[in-house]
Amino acid sequence: MSLREPAWRVTARELESSLEEEKGEGERPATYLLSPFAARMSRVLLAGNLSLAESIGREESQAFWRARLSDPTGAVAVTAGSFQPRAMAQLRSASAPRPAIVVGKVHLFRGRDGVGYVSVRAEAVRSVAEAEERAALADIVRQTLDRLDLLERVEKEPGLSEETLRQEGIPTAWLRAAKESRSRYPNVDRPAFRRELGNAVRRVAGESGPSRATLPTPPTVTVTRAPPPRPSSPAPSAAERAEESLFLDQLDEVADVSADGYADLKEVLSRVSAHGLVGERTESILNRLEEEGVIEEPIVGKLRRA
Amino acid sequence: MTAEPTPSPSTETRLRDLRLTSSPVEFVARVVTFERRDVTRKSDGSRRPLISGLLSDGTATVRFTWWDPPREGIERGLVLRAVGAEVREFRGRPEVTFSWKTRVGPASPAELPQVDADEVPFRTVRELRPADEGFRIEVRVVRIAAKSVTVGTERRVVHEGLVADRTGAIALSAWSDFGLKVGEAVRIAGGYVRGFRGRPQFVLDERSIVVRVAGTDLPDPAQLLAAPPCSIAQVEDEGGGETVAVEGIVVGLLPPSGLVFRCPTCQRSVRSGICRVHGQVDGRADLRARIVLDDGTGALTVNANRADTERLWGVTLEEAQARLRNQPDPSLLEEQLLEALLGRRLRVRGVGTNDEFGVTLTPESIDRVDIDLDAAAEELSARLGERR
Repeated sequence: MSLREPAWRVTARELESSLEEEKGEGERPATYLLSPFAARMSRVLLAGNLSLAESIGREESQAFWRARLSDPTGAVAVTAGSFQPRAMAQLRSASAPRPAIVVGKVHLFRGRDGVGYVSVRAEAVRSVAEAEERAALADIVRQTLDRLDLLERVEKEPGLSEETLRQEGIPTAWLRAAKESRSRYPNVDRPAFRRELGNAVRRVAGESGPSRATLPTPPTVTVTRAPPPRPSSPAPSAAERAEESLFLDQLDEVADVSADGYADLKEVLSRVSAHGLVGERTESILNRLEEEGVIEEPIVGKLRRA
Repeated sequence: MTAEPTPSPSTETRLRDLRLTSSPVEFVARVVTFERRDVTRKSDGSRRPLISGLLSDGTATVRFTWWDPPREGIERGLVLRAVGAEVREFRGRPEVTFSWKTRVGPASPAELPQVDADEVPFRTVRELRPADEGFRIEVRVVRIAAKSVTVGTERRVVHEGLVADRTGAIALSAWSDFGLKVGEAVRIAGGYVRGFRGRPQFVLDERSIVVRVAGTDLPDPAQLLAAPPCSIAQVEDEGGGETVAVEGIVVGLLPPSGLVFRCPTCQRSVRSGICRVHGQVDGRADLRARIVLDDGTGALTVNANRADTERLWGVTLEEAQARLRNQPDPSLLEEQLLEALLGRRLRVRGVGTNDEFGVTLTPESIDRVDIDLDAAAEELSARLGERR
């Protein structure tokens, strides 16, 4: 049975902090975005101030629009294309920033440097009265707090069963999300996040004005996270370290004499092989150095110090 | 001969006492479910029809196979007498087979074996599953109303309602008048459970025994109908329910919503002027909204009727039709309805049924909910403050 994905009530801040994905099950598995605060989202509901939309479509036939939704905790990009005609029409129709509710699918783009950009592909956008925006925000903060409380309980009682929670009316999916987000983000500053929710509560109380969508918000956030478990490679031995430095020495020498400042990969390889470093071992050193960010390969076959 | 008493062909066997024997048995039972099939003979490829399904006599339910059955006249609920049926065993459970040697004919429900209320086991509502029988329950009548229906060619009165105990509620359908009244506590034996639109339904007939009891630990009907809303995840988990109450935000509409046309005879929606059953008809205009309600834990569909749709939308059927005359694009109407509903917070009570698309609510009431923002802010800041 494929049930409709619920719209997780989240703040912009929580979305900005979400950098981990998980594949669902079934024939056409959905991709879920895991937040550090126990949300496992395919669909989300946000409330805030929606900026004017700009067209980012390359061609007229493939219209694509983007706006920013700001709530008191942060801001997130909201997009809609020709596959979401209703939402796109709503994004385009506004003549001024206005309070709005957005329902849509989350989308994570991750650059090579690991910086994540979360956006929401809108399915439904509606301009609302300020009171409605505040009511939706109240809903969002309440469920966010519920999830934070659940995370704390899971920490205190690791053996917490689905059955116990079900009887309290807490969905099974929430427990799964809490466990997964705890293992993916072991070092998240939850108290700091709680403090930011305070801004949202003040907005619910009407103490602060609408969030300005025009506020420049940094598009990136830094979150300590644990990537999905992968076979951990043991720390390099002294011998491997020695080979690394040999590799780097040769790279520097080649780079010094080259016209463009890059070291030609083939030349470095032939030089290190003269020192007895060949085949898979060279390959693994190259990979490790790239992974550790010591060297980079901006052009295929051309290396340089990062 | 064996020492075990073997029922002689002249006496009826209760299905509960059915044992694997070589001698044919006689019994009276009701058809609970059945299905017609054809079996192809390997030898010559000829097809042989059969009916298989479940039979029940109030003491037990057994599977049955009927070779070369009559082409018509078999229906659910039919009581029949079988003389000379064979008993077989499949996976340790007895089942019966009707062959050319078996005489099968209609019987009166009064001929079904009498079930003594005290000898059947006690069950709670939550434990009941379709095809269950031979049990007794103690419940409170939450709702009951007589309804006239057409069964085949005859008109019959069925008393439909809802009964509940501490563990849950189940729809009731009584084909005989037991004089049930709302608020009464009763002990019922001799009913059976069938699946109706994905939900169990408790069916009573003339043989069922209803006794009034004190029922001190049974729930209060008013309380049951006014229970606070629960999470949609919970409703999804339980596959709907008889007294569902949820609260959520409208996040979308499913087609067909807005102005629809229905067959004047059967109320089915009409597409391109054609009713699925009655062919070309002059469709009657109606308003409806299939609302997707989401509370953050799950989502379900609420099928709002004309009155609810008019109230939520603020547009009457006549106004909608007038709009259609001015802007002859029906999809615009749906757009305007969505515009009016999207993001609204609703509390819905009703009956929840379950299918492969999830839970659908047939609402008894739909109410707009306004949040007290000051109280919400106070509550939330208290929760935030606790741990600061």
